[in-house]
Amino acid sequence: MNSRLKGVLIFAVMMLFFFASNAQAYQRIVVLYAAASPVLKELGVSDRVVGVTRTDHTFKGVRSVGSHLRPNMELLKALKPDLIVAGSKRAFPEEISKRLRTDVFYYDPRSLEDILFKIKALGKLLKRQKRAEELIKRLKGKLQEVKPLKGKPTVVYEIMERPLKVAGSKSIINSIIAHAGGENLVKVKKKHVLISPERVISLNPDVYIYQVGPMNKKPTTPSERPYYKSLRAKVIKVDEYEFARPGINAFQAVVDLNRIFMEVIK
Amino acid sequence: MKKAMYSLILLLILMVVLATLKGAVSIDLFHMSNTERDILLFVRLPRVMLSGLVGSALALSGLLFQYVMKNPLADSFTTGVSASSAMGAVVAILLGLGFLIPLFALAGGITGLVIVYKISSVRGRVQPITMLLAGIVLSTFSSATISFMKFLSDDAVSSIIFWLMGGFQDASVKKVLALLVVVMLSFLLVRRHYLGLDILSFDDTTALSSGVEVDRLRKEAFFLAALLTAFSVGYAGIIGFVGLIVPHVIRLMRFVKASELVPLSILGGAVFMIFNDLLSRTLLSEGQELPVGIITSSIGGLFFLYLLIKRKRELYYFD
Repeated sequence: MNSRLKGVLIFAVMMLFFFASNAQAYQRIVVLYAAASPVLKELGVSDRVVGVTRTDHTFKGVRSVGSHLRPNMELLKALKPDLIVAGSKRAFPEEISKRLRTDVFYYDPRSLEDILFKIKALGKLLKRQKRAEELIKRLKGKLQEVKPLKGKPTVVYEIMERPLKVAGSKSIINSIIAHAGGENLVKVKKKHVLISPERVISLNPDVYIYQVGPMNKKPTTPSERPYYKSLRAKVIKVDEYEFARPGINAFQAVVDLNRIFMEVIK
Repeated sequence: MKKAMYSLILLLILMVVLATLKGAVSIDLFHMSNTERDILLFVRLPRVMLSGLVGSALALSGLLFQYVMKNPLADSFTTGVSASSAMGAVVAILLGLGFLIPLFALAGGITGLVIVYKISSVRGRVQPITMLLAGIVLSTFSSATISFMKFLSDDAVSSIIFWLMGGFQDASVKKVLALLVVVMLSFLLVRRHYLGLDILSFDDTTALSSGVEVDRLRKEAFFLAALLTAFSVGYAGIIGFVGLIVPHVIRLMRFVKASELVPLSILGGAVFMIFNDLLSRTLLSEGQELPVGIITSSIGGLFFLYLLIKRKRELYYFD
């Protein structure tokens, strides 16, 4: 009898703990950094997301709270979020979160390893550790598709044409290129580097990648630009959303870039 | 005058040579590889030429605006032409029509010019003070519109901000030739009116009684100044202080006649801008660049402040 009572008690305590911990998990999330939204979707917390930025269409029927740099404070307050996922402290200072009395999770990965780390942290924070582990496993598996190359193609990645800015060593692009088997020739410790075209020519990359998207709308094909007349690199056009956003997409970008490198090395 | 002219020509030649030799990549003129030759011909030389021409255009436009408005502080900023050209360029960036930036900047600049001109004309006569006020209003309105466009497009903000800070990365032989034609034509047209511009510095009654067609001259000078500004903004973004500082420095060297001020400002503007562009592309390591507008405003601002403190009495010769 005693042992049965003990068992019931233990079960009751466990159930209480389970429900209590679930209740503690964040229930009203506002995402101010669009690259984090697919991660939250994969973690199965779409129903908890109550606000996003105006360019984020990951979740249907969710209120837009303005731009990622300038969210509407009244809308934010009205949504009563208990967690805000923001890009960086510069974009969303801690003082604002204190004013809103809301916890903030900063999602600003600089490498693929960082992305996995952030997924794990988000999983823990949202009590979705298992889903997070599964996602990490899946993304790591994606990297297994990368094929070894005969050489190491050198790369310059154009962020925008006017003015000419390329990806530096602190950009997620740097990590994508490295995992795909290439080498970013721009070693400046910045995300984006305002660079002289003559420097790009002198670096003489094997591959010149230029992105097309909101940051580089309808750029001129590099070979048609007067200052790149002597650029001998293979020029590749990519989608900014697929390459320059530090989210789940980055892993597919690695595989795609590896395929491009294979053709270049040939 | 001749001594100053020859000195500036010599300085310009020296600056062109220095700017051609120095850059992100070291070039040995006597043992050039193919890549170095391409860099020199397609990147560096067009850039040096374009920066010099933009400097000349801005200095000349600043000087003309000062004549038209009879105000020593008038330049492309105070007249609103810079901001309206920039507004046109930002529209092109937002629409993803980067290759049409010069055309949009030109359209914006000319639209601004027409608005200011219409507002400040009373019975066909241009009122300098009204023109200045209309320019300030247009400048404020254009800046607000640019800010609004930046707000609407978060992702393009960085592109817009850096473009507005000015730079010569996108230099080409075509641009050099186009601006050369504009500067040369403007110079030749202004050259015919040296005496008229000098007399324009007096009051309108004196100028009219001296036989100067005041309104026609003002219109012509204003149009040329706006055209020079619009081309400069379209090719290199907004670069501040050149139109203000260069003519003033020339004046402080005791050259006050239009026949001296115009050619010396053109040469001085070229020297100043080539030097600033050289700094913008060599101050940082690993081929990094600084927007040239930051340097012109910093150097120009400090130098102007020094002149104001040291020689403030001579600066107000308009009184």
